[in-house]
Formats: sequence, C-alpha cells, structure tokens
Amino acid sequence: MRWDVVWNNIDYFLWGSLNFDTQNMRVTGELGGLALAVVLAALGIFGAFWLGLAAGLMRLSRRAWVKAIAVIYIELVRGTPLLMLIFWFYFLAPIVLGTAVPEFQSTLIAFIVFTGAYVGEIVRAGVTALPKGQMEAARGTGLTHFQAMRLVILPQALRNMIPSFVNQFVSLTKDTSLASIIGVNELTNTATQVNNRTMNAPFEIFITIAALYFLICWVLTATSRRLEKHLARYQARGR
Amino acid sequence: MKYNFDWSIVLTGEYHQWLIDGLWLTLKISALSIILATALGTLVAVLRMTKVKALEWFSLAFTEFFRNTPLLVQIYFWYFGSYVLLPEAVNKWLYKQDFEFAAGVIALTVYTAAFIAEEIRAGIFAIPKNQLEASRATGLSFLQAYRYVILPQAFRIIIPPLISQFLNLIKNSSLVMTIGVMDLTYMARQIESHTFRGFEAFTAATLIYLVISLIVSLSINLYNKHFLRQIKY
Amino acid sequence: MKKLSFALALLAACTMLAGAAFAGKLDDIKKNGVLVAGVKDSQPPFGYVDEQSKQIVGFEIDVCKYLADKLGVKLEIKPVTSATRIPMLTQGSVDIVAATMTHKIEREAEIDFSITYFPAEQKLLVKKGGGIKTVADLAGKKVGSAKGSTSEKNIQAAQPKCQVISYDTYPMAFLALKQGKVDAVTTDAPILAGLKATDEKPEMWEVTGDFIADEPYGLGLPENDSDYRDFVNASLMEMWRSGEYAKIYDKWFGPKSKCPLELKWKMELWP
Repeated sequence: MRWDVVWNNIDYFLWGSLNFDTQNMRVTGELGGLALAVVLAALGIFGAFWLGLAAGLMRLSRRAWVKAIAVIYIELVRGTPLLMLIFWFYFLAPIVLGTAVPEFQSTLIAFIVFTGAYVGEIVRAGVTALPKGQMEAARGTGLTHFQAMRLVILPQALRNMIPSFVNQFVSLTKDTSLASIIGVNELTNTATQVNNRTMNAPFEIFITIAALYFLICWVLTATSRRLEKHLARYQARGR
Repeated sequence: MKYNFDWSIVLTGEYHQWLIDGLWLTLKISALSIILATALGTLVAVLRMTKVKALEWFSLAFTEFFRNTPLLVQIYFWYFGSYVLLPEAVNKWLYKQDFEFAAGVIALTVYTAAFIAEEIRAGIFAIPKNQLEASRATGLSFLQAYRYVILPQAFRIIIPPLISQFLNLIKNSSLVMTIGVMDLTYMARQIESHTFRGFEAFTAATLIYLVISLIVSLSINLYNKHFLRQIKY
Repeated sequence: MKKLSFALALLAACTMLAGAAFAGKLDDIKKNGVLVAGVKDSQPPFGYVDEQSKQIVGFEIDVCKYLADKLGVKLEIKPVTSATRIPMLTQGSVDIVAATMTHKIEREAEIDFSITYFPAEQKLLVKKGGGIKTVADLAGKKVGSAKGSTSEKNIQAAQPKCQVISYDTYPMAFLALKQGKVDAVTTDAPILAGLKATDEKPEMWEVTGDFIADEPYGLGLPENDSDYRDFVNASLMEMWRSGEYAKIYDKWFGPKSKCPLELKWKMELWP
C-alpha cells in the first residue's frame, strides 16, 4: 500500500496549487481540487435554481408557446447525457457563438443548463402539489395571477421543494467530476494527474477522492433528510 | 473559421458504421447493467428489511457510499484501482478478457443498484404494514410473504421510478468511454478527432440518445395511464 | 428553427472571418500581453504537473516560455489532451499548441504548423522479456494508445489484427500495461521513454519495435496567419542557433535527466 502518495498530494487534492506565500504575503497558484469542485457545484446550483424556476413556471403557463419552449428545453436536456452536453458547449458552442469559451465557464454553463431542466421539473411538481384552492383563494382576494404566484404559491411550494433541491445539489456535486474530461482542474482531474505521474497507487488515490466526494455529498444528503422530516409538518397537501 | 456541414459522413460509409457499432455497444452494456443492477438493487433493498443488524448495516453502507460518490470516480476505481482486491492470477485471467467492458458493467451496475435499492425500499414502505402481518398469519414464511405478497405489489408502484433509473443508466453509460469502451459517445469523439466533423458526429449521437430517452419516457407515460390508476390503497 | 440556427451559425462564421482578416494573432497576443499555450499536463517530460511546485512544467513549456519572452508577454498555460488540442486551437481558446503533436498533412486542413521542433518515431513500450519485439508480435493482442492521436491510427494500419484500446492520456495506457490490461503501449519513442522513466523500476520495460511511422512534432498554429507563423519559425531557428534549444533539451533529455535521450537530430535551418 502506498498511502504516502496520497498523503504527499492531499493539499493538491483539496485546493489545487493554491499556496500562501508567507514571504511576500500573497496568494500564488490556482484554485483546484475539491475546493474547485465545490465552487463549480455551488455556482451551478445557484444558476440552475433561477433557470429551473423560470422553466418550471413556464411549463405551467396557459399560453401554448410559452409552455412549448419549456417542454422542449426540459425534455431535450433530460434526454441527453450530461457528457454530451458538456461536449456541445465546449467543442461546438464556439462554432455557433464565434468566440471561445474557457473550459471552466463552458462546463459551468453546461451544468446550469443540465441541472436547470431537473430543477424545472421539481418546481412544477412542487407547485402542482399545492391544493388548487390556494390559487383560487389568492385570486379571490384580488391578487393578479402573477402576484398570487409570487406571494402565495411559491413561498409555500419552494419550502416544500428544499429537500429535492438539496438532492439535486448532491447530484451536481457528483457531476462536477465530468468537468475533468475537458480539463477543468477539479478533484477528479487532480487525481488523474497525480495518478498519471506516480502510477503506483491508483487504488489508494481513487479511494481517497471517492471518500472526499462522499463526505460532502453525505453531509448534504443527511441535511436534506432532516429538512424533509422537519418540513413535512408544515406541508399543506391537497386531495 | 468557416464551417461546411457534411451530413453524409454520419449517414453513410465508414463513420456511419462506427456510430452504429457505438450504439450497439451502448445498448449492450446498458441492457446487461440494467438486468444486473435490478437484481443487485433488489437484493440490497431486501437485506435492509431482514432485521439482521449486520446485513442492514451492509445494505445501508452500500447504498449511502455508492449513491454519494461520482460514477466517473467509481469507473476509474473499478478499472484502475480494483487490482488490489483480487489475487494476481484472477486479475491476469480477467485482463485477458474484455476487462474494459466488464469494469464498465460493474461500475454502472453497482452505482445504479444503490439508487434502485432506495426506490424499491420506498415502494415496499408504501405497502401498508398489515399486509405483511396478514400474509404471515396465513402461514406464509417471511420470505414467502415477500416473494408472493409484498414484492409483486411494490414492483408495480416502483416501476415508473425504476424505468427512469434505467434511463439514467443509459445516459450514464456514456462515461465508460473514459476507460476505452467504444460506446456511442466514444465513437462520436473518435469521428470528431478523425475528421474534425464534430458538429455532425455530436448531433447524430445526441439525436440517438434523445430517441432512446423519448421511447423510454413514452413507455412510462403509457404505463402510468393504463396500469397505475387501477392500484388503490 | 433549423433555418434560424443555420443563419446564426453563418453570421457567426462571417464575423469570425472578418475578425481574422483584420487583426493578426501576433497583434492580439501583444495587445493582451499573454501567450496562451496549450500543453500536455500528464506527459513527462514534455509537460506534467511538478510534484513540488504543483505547476505544469516540461520541455514544451520551456519552448513556449522562450516564445513568450521573445514577444515580451506573459505565458499562460492551458492543459490539453490529444483529442482537445486541435478544437481548442481552431476555436481560439489557445494561441499555440505545444502538445507532442505530429505534423500531419491531414491536420493542415484545420490548422497550420511550425517547422519541426522535435523529431520522433512511433515505437512500442513493452514488458522486458514478454515476448513482444515487433509489430508482427501484436497479432491478437491488446495495445494501448491515446484518443485522437496519430499512433492510434498508425498501429491499426500496421497491424490490423491487434485490438487498440484508447485512453484519455498515455500514462493511463502505461498504467494499463503495468497492470497487464494491455500487452503494449504504442506512441512516439520520447513519450515512451518518458513513461518508462516515471516507473519505480524502469529496467522492467523496454522501448522496442520496428519502424511504424515518423512523427515529427510541430507547434500547432491558427490557420492562415503567416505573420504569426513566420515569427514562430524564426524564433525556433534562433533558439537553435543561440544554443538555447540545446540547453533546454539537456535539461529534460540530457544524460543527467530522468529521461536521457541522445540528440541525434538537427533542426531545419533556413539561411
């Protein structure tokens, strides 16, 4: 067993080549490893939330063309492997856009577009799960459809959706590993780099990074479960 | 840069054949993994219900660990890291076979089984508890009660989520290209690097994945419409 | 929908053409103050992550550094793989590719090349005493290579009876060889020597094989920018004449380096 290989590179796995130069009091190197994976996932879920919210509400719209856009987006993305989407944004977006998109940004966009479709479905399910009377009552008090949505429906629906969002966040955290395929220096990439250089400890290296991912995802999953129990008490359900 | 579309390369000739070969491999690895993952997932779910502490713990650890680590890392692990788990001679024999394919199947199976186990558990929980008690009272053993009463009902409830797990597996199978399995995504990549015609190759591959997904989604919808309504609690 | 996206693509293509016609890459680089180089990040000694500094270092990084210094700009390193290097160059995310890339005529359709800066020849890396000496011995065996490489195509042509398994990087292929998952790794001799040198017991492996293909490395440059290409070619020749090339070569391939490889070659020099 060569756990020393893991030990010698653990800082690289955790935060890449980032280093604090104590002599000149400045930060050198670049963020990578687990820290970059977390940054990617956090930015990704933030973007996906807003995109998904829009897509989910559009899918509930009564205007056919608005609904059609959302349905096409959601179904197209959900039917495509994430890896394909990453390749599309990375290799092919420049042909259409005319400029190069750096790999970090291009994977981030791919993650947002991908996760946004799933969040859209969560939003739709969350809103439809509320009793119909809620909307009718809100409209009855004189609110417009938009106001009723914003002030009455969404505050309730979003709270019920929190566990699903956290689950989606866990998925996205795992999915950030795919960024390594086009060279973003996140955790999986740091692992393959070190593995390629040392070549004597693949078992140790991959077990270690699996454990690192597990730690983050498991904490999130555990949180989600506690939230689920906690929130269940407040749920207003139909039927 | 000017881009001249040339769809003929994916519609005819050698590269067309590559895509077909890739599709065939994707279907093969997916089908095999779906069968194995369903079996393993059911086993893990049932272990969780056995009331034997050690088995329950094993089942819990299995689902938690494999659900919460990325599939890509698991693929690398099974392919490059698994050599320490087995004796040298077994490894030697394994590597002479199509080990790339086997590692891909193992990774997809184990990863998806963890999700399937959770779906099945949720399905079993949805069956009222007194059903088990009632069937035990009629003289069935614990295993028989599960085999003849609980599982058949649970499977009907969990079939839609199960199929969407199968769909995830098919999409996830694109990751096996990282260890050199020549699936659909791998072939699209190869065509891109041989001909620099990425646009055509990726479009073709994406459309194929979409068609597979659409067929599967439609079948879930049909199932929901025709069968699910008959179940009442 | 189809028409619209096609029109958009066409529009984008036109703006790109116009952009390319007015500003040369050389001006862009000087204006931005950085030369963005696409290099390998797991290909010792050409380009790999150094254990101490965690930075990407290697022979090709030093070549790019020389070019950046000549331009008076900073060097920015971007890791590429055999499969991503050409798309990254054509889409402009890197200005130059120094990533063990063989100068092939078929690649000329997409990008331009500098003069050869490194001579290489495709060989096999095998376990010593494992019974494989030549390409003929590979019949019915598994051979590891990298996706998008010339070696992958060459070996399939030279030995149709072998099964080629393509990984993302060569070290992955070597790891597969070490674990017995493939029987040989094929690519350019210096890369193989570099792989061999990374092993704890380099004497267990040998670089062998009869002639498969010549693999002269050229720097990948954007298509149709002759000012830029002239600059790169002139700089490479100057690098050779001033003895800087020999110095860098000695650092990575000299007798005291991890991967000794005798310099038996002379760069093409224009009078």
